[in-house]
Order: sequence, then structure tokens, then C-alpha cells
Amino acid sequence: MPLGARRTGRRVAARLQAWARPRHPETLPVQFDRRRVYVLPTRFGLFFAVLLLAMWLGALNYNNNPALMLGLLLAGAANTSLLTAHLQLTGLQVSAIDAEPVPAGATLELRIHARADPGRARRGLRVDAGDSSAVLSLADGNGQATLTLPTQRRGWLDLERLRISTTRPLGLARAWAYVWPDAPLLVYPAPEAHGPPLPEGSGANALARLRPTGDDVHHLRRYRRGDARRAIAWKPSARRDTLLVREYEQPVGADVVLDWRQLSGIDYEARIRRLARWIDEAEREGRRYRLELPGHPPLGPGSGPQQRHACLRALALLPAIDAHA
Amino acid sequence: MAVPSPRLDPQSRLWTLAAAGVCLLPLLLQLPATLGIGIGVTALLVAAVSWRRALHAVVRVLLAMILAVVVLWASHFAIGRDTGCALLAAMLAIKPAETFSLRDARSLLGFALFAPFATFLLDQGPLSLVLSLAGAALALAALLRLAELESGDSQQPQSAWQRFNLVWKLIAIGLPLAMAAFWLFPRLATPLWGVPERTMARPGLSDRMTPGEWVDLLNDDSTAMRVQFLGRTPDKSQMYWRGPVLWNFDGRDWTQPSWLRAYPPAPVRSATLAWDYTLEVEPGDSRQLVALDLPTAAPDGTDLTQDYGLFARRSLDALTRWRMRSSPPVAFEPTLPPMLRRMALQLPAGYNPRALALGRAWRREAGTDDAAVVQRAMSMIRRDFAYTLAVPPLGRDAVDEFLFTQKAGFCEHFSSAFVVLMRAAGIPARVVTGYVGGYWNKLGGYWQVRRSDAHAWAEVWLPGRGWVRMDPTAAVAPDRIYDTLADRASASDSLFGAAVPAPVFDVTDWLRHGWNDFALGFDANRQRELLGRLGVNDLDTGRLVTLFLLVALLAILWMAWLTARAERERDPVLRAWHRMGQRYARLGLARAPHETADAWAERVRLARPSLAEGLRQLSLRFNNWRYAGHRPGREATALIAALRRHRPGTHALHGDSR
Repeated sequence: MPLGARRTGRRVAARLQAWARPRHPETLPVQFDRRRVYVLPTRFGLFFAVLLLAMWLGALNYNNNPALMLGLLLAGAANTSLLTAHLQLTGLQVSAIDAEPVPAGATLELRIHARADPGRARRGLRVDAGDSSAVLSLADGNGQATLTLPTQRRGWLDLERLRISTTRPLGLARAWAYVWPDAPLLVYPAPEAHGPPLPEGSGANALARLRPTGDDVHHLRRYRRGDARRAIAWKPSARRDTLLVREYEQPVGADVVLDWRQLSGIDYEARIRRLARWIDEAEREGRRYRLELPGHPPLGPGSGPQQRHACLRALALLPAIDAHA
Repeated sequence: MAVPSPRLDPQSRLWTLAAAGVCLLPLLLQLPATLGIGIGVTALLVAAVSWRRALHAVVRVLLAMILAVVVLWASHFAIGRDTGCALLAAMLAIKPAETFSLRDARSLLGFALFAPFATFLLDQGPLSLVLSLAGAALALAALLRLAELESGDSQQPQSAWQRFNLVWKLIAIGLPLAMAAFWLFPRLATPLWGVPERTMARPGLSDRMTPGEWVDLLNDDSTAMRVQFLGRTPDKSQMYWRGPVLWNFDGRDWTQPSWLRAYPPAPVRSATLAWDYTLEVEPGDSRQLVALDLPTAAPDGTDLTQDYGLFARRSLDALTRWRMRSSPPVAFEPTLPPMLRRMALQLPAGYNPRALALGRAWRREAGTDDAAVVQRAMSMIRRDFAYTLAVPPLGRDAVDEFLFTQKAGFCEHFSSAFVVLMRAAGIPARVVTGYVGGYWNKLGGYWQVRRSDAHAWAEVWLPGRGWVRMDPTAAVAPDRIYDTLADRASASDSLFGAAVPAPVFDVTDWLRHGWNDFALGFDANRQRELLGRLGVNDLDTGRLVTLFLLVALLAILWMAWLTARAERERDPVLRAWHRMGQRYARLGLARAPHETADAWAERVRLARPSLAEGLRQLSLRFNNWRYAGHRPGREATALIAALRRHRPGTHALHGDSR
């Protein structure tokens, strides 16, 4: 029976969820008006209400006016606190959200930017999405909150409705409003952990490239994330008190061609993951690369953040089903 | 779903405990001193010991049980209103020992709010009122702090001042609703359940009198009741407020035979003179009311006993008001039934032999002339006796000791000895207790009767005249009885009992009276009266509820208006601009969010050239105002007016085109 009741409760909750505004994704900025701010008492609020009821009943029974007045004043304050909680959210504008794309499986840091008239203090608003939550406090009318969202699949992240809520001022009621940003959040495919090295490039424009391994030391440079540990020049690093990395000069092959068709031996998703790893590796080695995907004009050759993003984006947005099946 | 409740940080804990402490304080002040101090010290100790670590559960349970037993023991294991309140105080004192999470703190605050409520059940004085309101405000401020903690925004905590400011605003905005409920919510004319009486009572008028024990009462200058005469005011020497009538004497105590209450009031022939007045009776411990000698009828909700004592049907633990009419008797029970006569002559055997002998001697000398015996007793007392409150405790034959050795005492001694003498002489007599006199409060225009005005006098039954009031004390010290002179007025019912000048005394009691009028004494009757004055007569409960709902709805609408107002654009020019945009939106020509004013005006002009004659010019002016000038003043006002006037399609020829 409790199980059934819980199930019914969940169904009712789901129905109410579906009924709450907004019912569709919306373009930012979104300003909360009073029609989409909801207020319901918290558990403590219900306890408080029972307490006040007991107080009123006692006071009316004994015709004890100060006691009644006390109960009514508390009730008045509690009622105003509902209004105040409501006012914490109305007029709040969610101006934008953004996030750096991350490989699937990593956590996405979603930044939510909010704005409001600076006249009213809006502090300690809670932003929830799924299991993660963050605190949004507006100072001088501007505020930012960072939500960490888990990602599972490559492609566009299906962002659910974000709930912005507050139990202030008294903790008797929770006011909340949903915002459903229609903002594209990209999740890159997860690169495979281990695999074969980059295919050697072919072509005429072989150039001298700086590489972390080789024969002739070219120069020392600052450590960047992703540098191999053996490339670190420990002694100079100790002298300068900062991590330095040796760079060698070695002529390397021409542009790398990352071709989907050459990876016919393995699974569809595994191919995507391998290509993703190769892209990262090519970036790390500073080599130019070209990505060729079925049904896509070739991307590149090139290197740098933009090329990387374009390639990973294309990979991320490949249709999910096995194209060969 | 079951998220563990966050732990309290030290500051929140401090706020919570401080709020609970202030809530508890007025309640402790109402408990008997030892109990109050004991619970208060326990609370402080528990808070100090458990500051870092919760007390062990066994210790907590043990402590709770000990305190409960102590409280019950202090009230002699009788369950009354005050026992309940003391138990509540005791439990609140122990609760800090387990207050470590947010949820604990909230439940502590919730229960702590019951402490002021309980206080009001015991006392409604100004000190209790102020302390309780302070406690409630502090509890709300602590709730604010807890909500801050819950929101996770504790980097920038609000200052205490900001918190109190917010609490004040919360209460002030809720005030109209609270007041509407207070005055309009239907009041219960009869209680739903009985009110438990107090078990630890303070001395006052009661159905028992032991000569010598009223010293505390006679030094208590707090107000017992306020009287407003509606017509004729009786002479000071006629202001005898009749309370319990005591018949039975066992040598030590005078008591009231409770079975007499079941009999109808004795027949009385009244004088044509009558006094109409209202009584505002401060809360007391019993149901005993007083009325000017003699009440002609029992007001609603009271019962008149056979000997004209007045009893309320419900406990007088809150302020009450009564409308009464009294008239001096011409003949009060002219024929005395034999049973009552026997009662009025009864004396305990073996007590006070000298007094009995004296009474019998007087009877022998006077023959059948009762009045002569009475006169003789009065003249003896007037001649030989003195008034004093400093009386040593009397022994077994208290009346003998008083009459023949001490020869000094106060009203209890005088009335008791007088009645014993009369009964010894064969004249039916009884003791009447009540108040006498009153203090005229010039400011408020009412008479104020204090607890120190408590008095005991005698009634003797004389053939043909019935019961006749005799006041031996007044014969000795009339100034002491009918006083209400400036010297008495200088004592007060201020907080510290310090002497204050008479005008201050007048003002404080007048304020108290006003507060009583305004809030404390409000009940079903006053509610009807108030609505009657507003022209709403004979409201039944249903209509009253409707009226209340109506006013509550108004208050809530006011709140809704506040919310609606809060989200509107603050800049009046922008507001007018948006409103004008809405008029175009209705025609499907809404300005897109990204569109500039110029681009929009241009688009409208291309789409519907006939519509937007003035729009381009307006958008230009708007642009100039917003991006160039942007200062309030005449220009802005003119722009607002133009924006408001503009309708799609109106050819803006009047005033706009400058």
C-alpha cells in the first residue's frame, strides 16, 4: 500500500511537473513574472501552520486576546514571508547560460547568469538541475551560479528544466520558478583511453615541427597541461621555480589525415572515440590534421582550438545509430 | 529525498538559543519563584554544557524526568494550567541539549513560540506582553538566520539590524490581515473545552478567610478592576463591592457554604436609587465576581447566590467586562428562614470563651433590643481599638486575643470579632468580603479598584430591616478604608513597585485601560458592539465569516498588488514605451527583443504605412532621451505623456509633432 501510494504520489508530481510553466524550452533571456513563480509551504511551514492553529484554537477557547494576537501576528508574518519569497524570484532575469564542451562522461560546468533590479536583495537562491545544485547570489543586480552536470552521451545535451528556488526569508515556504533554456550545450565524444598512435601523415609539405621527443634540443618552454612527464626539464625547472619543458626540433610527417573509412575494422562508437583521441593527440603534438567523415566535407587541414572544436563537434553530432547497419 | 539536515554553525545556534531563551523568560517570571529560577538555571547549564557536544541520550531523558517530577512536586501533583506551563518551560529548558541540526533548531523555535502563548494564559500584564513580543520577534529573526544557512549563502550574513528590520517589515505587512482576523473572526461565546484552573494560586478574594493572612493582599497595589458609572455615582462611603459571603466559622477559618449557591437570591426590597456601571475585571484566579452592594440582577454569564455573591460561569483568567446595576437595599431578606438563622448564629464550641461571655452579657443588659447591642459593640470598637497591618500571629482563641489583648488589627480581625460577638449575643451575623472604595482616575474618567482595597465587613440581621451592613473597621479608621488619597495613589502597579507621582500613575493605568479596551477585553460581546457602531447589526456567525473573508480577501489583494508592482519596470519612460509597444503587439507588429527602436519603427512603417505616422518621431525622441539626455524632468514627462497618448493609427497631429 505505501508503495502504491508512493507511486500515485509520483504520478501526481509528474502531472504537476508537466503542468508547471514553462512547458517548452525558451530562448534566453527570460524574466520571471508572477505567473511562473510557484510558492508552496515546506515541511517546516506545515509544522508551523499546525502550531499556529493550535495557538488560535487555544486562544479562542480561553478568549485570551494577547495569545490570539500573538498567533495572528505570527500568521501575518508567515503570510508575508510567502509574499517575500515570491518577490525574491519575480523580476529576476536569467540572461544567459554557457558551458565549455566536455567529453562525454566528464562533468559539464554550466554557468547561469542572472540579472535583476538592484533594488531588492536577492541572495541565496538555489539553482537545481537533477541532483546537482548551486547557490546564486545577486550582488549589484548581477549574479552567476555554476552547476556541475554529469554527461553521458556525445551530442547535444538535453538540458532539463532548471529550478531556481528559495526558502528565504523564514524557511516556511519554498518559492520556485523553472527556466528551460533553449541553449545548445555540446558534449564531445569521449576519447578512447588507449589505442594505436596517430597515423603518419603523407604528403609533400613536411615541415619541421616542434615535438616533445626528438634529437636536437630546440629550447625550453613553460609546461602546458598534457605535456609528457619525461619531457620536463627538472633541473632548469628547479632553478627557475617553474615547470619547464624541453622542446626538440625534428622534422615530422606532413598533415595527418584522420579518415573514418580507414577504421573499418572496429565498432561505430569505438571509431568515434578513436578519432576523438587522435584529434587530441594531434593537437598536443601541434600537427595539422584533416578529418574525413562520411557525408561530411573534409574538415581541415588545420590545427588549433577552432579546428579541434569543428572536428569534435562533427564527431559528436554523428547520428547515434550505426550507419553501416 | 531524505537529505540530512545541515548542521548548525555557532552563530545560528547562538541565535536559536537566544531566541528560545527570551521566549522562555516571561513564562519563567510567571512561575513560582523557586521553580522559575530552577528551570532558568537548568536551561543555562544545559546550553553551556552541550555547547560543543550533545548530551548523552540517557542524561537527557533523566534530566527531563527529574524536572517533570520537580514541577509536579512543586504543584502538589495537581494538574492545572500553571503545571502544564511549567512542564512546557522545563522541556524547553532541556531541548538545547539536542539542538544541532537545522531541523532541531526549527522545532525548538516552533515550540519556544508556545512559551509566550502559555505566558498569556497565566498573565497578560505589560511586562509579559513586551517580553513575549520581543521573544517572538527574536524567534522570527532566528528563523531568518536559519533560512540563510539553508540557502547556503552564508558568506555574507546579514547584520542583526538588517534581520530585525526585515522581521519588522514582515509583521507590518501582515498586520492588516492579522487585525482583520482579530476583530472580525467569530469569537466563541462559550468555550469548547473547560479551562483548567491554576493550582498555585496567589492570595485574593476567595471562599475562605483566615484572619491575619491578607497582609500580602492589602499591600498589593495592582488593579483589580476598573469601574465606569454610567449615570449617578455613589458616595464614597457607599462603594462596597460585595464579594464572597462567609457564614461558617470553625475557630480559625471563615468559609462559604457552597450549597447556598444552589438557592435563588433572597428577596430584597430595593430603594428607588440605582447605579448603572460597567466593570472591567482584571484576570484573577477564581470565578468570584464583585458587585456594588446589592446587585439587582445577575448579568449574562453569571449566577447570583442566595446571599448575593456573584459567580462567573467561566474562569476569569482573562480580562472580562460586565454591565451591572445595583441598588441599596431597604429591606434585605426581611424574613430569615430558620435554617439560615441557625447558620448565622452558629459558633464553634470551646473557642473564644471571653468573647462569648461578653456577648451574652450585652444581650442580658439590652433585653430584646438588637440595635442597642450592635451600637454597643460599635462604640466599644471605635473607642478602644486601633488599625494596624502589623499584627502578630494569633493563637487558638484568636478573637479573644484580638478583643482583649491586642486591640489592634485590620479588617479581617475586626469583622471576624464583630460577627463572633453578635452571634454570641444571639444576633444573626455573617462576614462579607470584597473591596471598598476606589481611586478616581481623572485622565480616564473611571474608578480604579486595587487589590489592596480588599476589605471584610459584617452584616447583622435585624428584625424588620433584614441584613444590615456594619463596618467596624470603618468605625476605627475611616480614612484608611475610604482613602484613595494622593498618598495611596503614589504607590503604583509599575514594574518595580517604586513610588511614582500621581499623574504618572494615572497615565500608566489609563494606558493599561486603553490597551484593555483595545485588545484584551475584546470578546463576542464587544465584537457585536463594535460592528453595531459601524452600522452592522445582528450579525450571525455565517455573515461574520463572510465579512471576515471579504476583509481578508482585500488584505490579500493588497499583497497581490504589492507583488505585481514589484515586477514592473521602474523607469516610467521605459514603462510607457513598453506599454505603447504592447498596443502594436496586438496588431501583430510586436517589437522583437533584439530590434532597436529605429529598426522597429522602420519595419512598422514599411508594413503598415497608415498606422505609424507618429511612431518614427516617437522612437527618435525615445532614442534621444534614452541614449543622449536620460534625465528626469519636463522633457521626460512630456515624452511619457506622448507615449501614453499614442495609438496605432492616430495621426499624431496634436502636440506630438513639434
